[in-house]
Amino acid sequence: MWKEIAKFGKKLVDGGYLSSHFGNISVRVGDSITVTRSGSMLDEITEASVVTVDLHKPSSLDLIASSETIVHREIYKRTSALAVIHAHCPFAVVESLLNDGSIEPYDSEGKFFFHEIPIVTGNIGTKELAENVAKSLEQHKGCIVKYHGTFAVGKILEEAYVHTTMMEHSSKIKYYCDLTKNK
Amino acid sequence: MLIYIAIYIEKFSNKRVKIPKIYKRKPLKVTLYKNQKEIRLPHIEKVLTVDLAKDKIRAENIQKEIASNYIGGRGIGVKLLFDMLSPNIDPLSDENILIFATGPVTGTIVPLSGRHVVVSKSPLTGTIFDSSAGGFFGRELRRSGFDVVIIKGFSEKPVYLEIDDGQIDIKDASDLWGKNVREATSSLSKDGFKVSCIGKAGEKLILMSSIMSEYTHACGRGGLGAVMGSKKLKAFRVKGIRDINISDEEKMKKYVAESMRLLNASPVASKGLAYYGTPSLVNLINTMRIMPTDNFRKVHFENAYKVSGEYIAENYDIKKKTCYNCFIACKREDKKRGIELPEYETIAMFGPNSMNDDIEKIIQANLICNDYGVDTISAGSTVSCYLELEGGNDIETPLKEIVEGGPLSEGSLRYSKSKGKEGSSMSVKGLEIPGYDPRGVLGLALSYATSNRGACHLRAYMVAPEILGKPKLIDRLSFSGKSGLIQIFQNISAGIHSLVMCQFSSFALSEEEYSDLLSAAVGEKYTSEEFIRTGERIYNLERLFNIREDISYSNDTLPDRFFGDDGISKEEFDSVLDEYYVYRGWNKGVPTKEKLDSLGLKKEAKFLVERDS
Repeated sequence: MWKEIAKFGKKLVDGGYLSSHFGNISVRVGDSITVTRSGSMLDEITEASVVTVDLHKPSSLDLIASSETIVHREIYKRTSALAVIHAHCPFAVVESLLNDGSIEPYDSEGKFFFHEIPIVTGNIGTKELAENVAKSLEQHKGCIVKYHGTFAVGKILEEAYVHTTMMEHSSKIKYYCDLTKNK
Repeated sequence: MLIYIAIYIEKFSNKRVKIPKIYKRKPLKVTLYKNQKEIRLPHIEKVLTVDLAKDKIRAENIQKEIASNYIGGRGIGVKLLFDMLSPNIDPLSDENILIFATGPVTGTIVPLSGRHVVVSKSPLTGTIFDSSAGGFFGRELRRSGFDVVIIKGFSEKPVYLEIDDGQIDIKDASDLWGKNVREATSSLSKDGFKVSCIGKAGEKLILMSSIMSEYTHACGRGGLGAVMGSKKLKAFRVKGIRDINISDEEKMKKYVAESMRLLNASPVASKGLAYYGTPSLVNLINTMRIMPTDNFRKVHFENAYKVSGEYIAENYDIKKKTCYNCFIACKREDKKRGIELPEYETIAMFGPNSMNDDIEKIIQANLICNDYGVDTISAGSTVSCYLELEGGNDIETPLKEIVEGGPLSEGSLRYSKSKGKEGSSMSVKGLEIPGYDPRGVLGLALSYATSNRGACHLRAYMVAPEILGKPKLIDRLSFSGKSGLIQIFQNISAGIHSLVMCQFSSFALSEEEYSDLLSAAVGEKYTSEEFIRTGERIYNLERLFNIREDISYSNDTLPDRFFGDDGISKEEFDSVLDEYYVYRGWNKGVPTKEKLDSLGLKKEAKFLVERDS
């Protein structure tokens, strides 16, 4: 499983969707979550860079897991997602600073995929953030945490990756379009 | 607060009964007088129970809780069947019931919403069983003022049920008994009625008999036509004039526009199927080496082109046929002869799987099955099984035996057992496997095995992601990640079959669109997750039904032919199956107390507690 996580970690960094350390990836495996470790570089993931933690409750291994594991766990508990990607996508973060509630993509793919992209609030690694993100993802494929970055879900990792890249793409198009209009 | 009123109406034979104003429920304004337009009908509300033995008809509202928790179609049917049936009854006895059900989007502006579902206990598999058909019958049923019709008991003589808008009648069908589908449908279709009926196969209680709507749309699988035949109910015809309203029209228009954009953008829906129909799969499946060939002893058929969609398009003057509100129009007709052409599954079974490359013979087999009212997948696979055991490549003789009620008509499992060759039946839980070899599509393999109704490609519809790459292409030759994925797709499909929408909508739509369409239709908010969870509740209740019938987890498997050196590793399969049970919250195929409680199935699971104590 770590190879699959490594593959998409590298694609995310290479594509400019995040800087090496700023994001995390997980996959649900039965009653467990395999998640990237805290501080791991997403473009250099090895078998030692991931850790498997309990799906239902925090465990001692949470100590070395990503600080956002609490969010991943809540998403898996409340939705049927089997893969989650969190990334600090730059244009998505910019749009979250410029808007409240949600953004509506201008581009056709964004409209197809999302209809709207919710913007949620909450501090990093908090229960409040976990609940807000998970609730939002009960109805949407992805959301943006204000000031922070995207969370995207999928039935497979590739789907979560597509949702992440689409959120960034739609945010970028919207940003440039609004910029041009306001000139 | 729901005011639940049931009116019992004495019904005298051959006398029409006009149902008076029977509902007093606010804010609904519902009357059932002819020529009066329906005012508001946002959800599954009205259930008609027809007791053929007592000659009684009862109309009632369904409890709001059931409508909310089970949506409609398959879900409502499963819930009603679970509640109304005692365990271990003979499916062909008068204790079995037959439920015709529509869903909250049936017949509306929602695309691909022309289907209806029939639910019963299957005489072929002994499991709970839902079977659906397209066409226009479902829409007409909703337009008549009823959403669900339950048929109970045995009639002493052949009858047919008629709903002429709000007026209901049970009529004598002695003149129709002994006639096949084409003739019976022609007789009953006059004056704008839409007809569902059985042919001679259903009358003879053939275990794979179907219920045919408007000549060619089949509730094909599971032998529900035999249940109809056991009740001496030859046909059900319906006509309605009411508008089918939805709760939030503005939102519905928006969601329908979004859904249409997605469907039009899907090459599978808007191009592949729209151009060649389902036979477009023949060459693709064969190229992938997953074509059932020689009763699943091979995976590739050399002459596949001669039975392909391309061959049909080049050699026949084709007319497209469609169901209600469907732009795909996947059905095909031979314009010159005015006869229906076979679909992919029929071609796969009577063609490559029976080592037959004569498309004309397949066309004739399809016509015979549709006219007698026989499931083409089970019939074709049983023919393939017969040819393996008896030799030769003549498909006509064994098919004749099937439709006339010979030993083969009991399906491949019973037939092969009678020959001491059970391993030659390519079935799961007694239901014959459709046209995709599970060795080359491992998600589908797990889905066949864990299906509550037996081998079925539509329970999780892994054909979409594993073969057609929709919504995402996943590795069909790996079990990795499949156990979690299968249960989600099974839950989503249960939701789709409850809406009721065509499975082909899933080439483009996801739970997000389905939940939006449902919310707009019923005026009650469903999130994507609530939609999936409703599907999960339905799937678990079906499983409970089967457990109550003593169908154990040992049936969650595939025929031995698919395991071994050239096939699937049994060890790996068992490991993935265990993983699937973990995702499901099941212990050896039985839902745990925690899972059942979380789905609100505590009352339904009471028998489990009593059994275990």
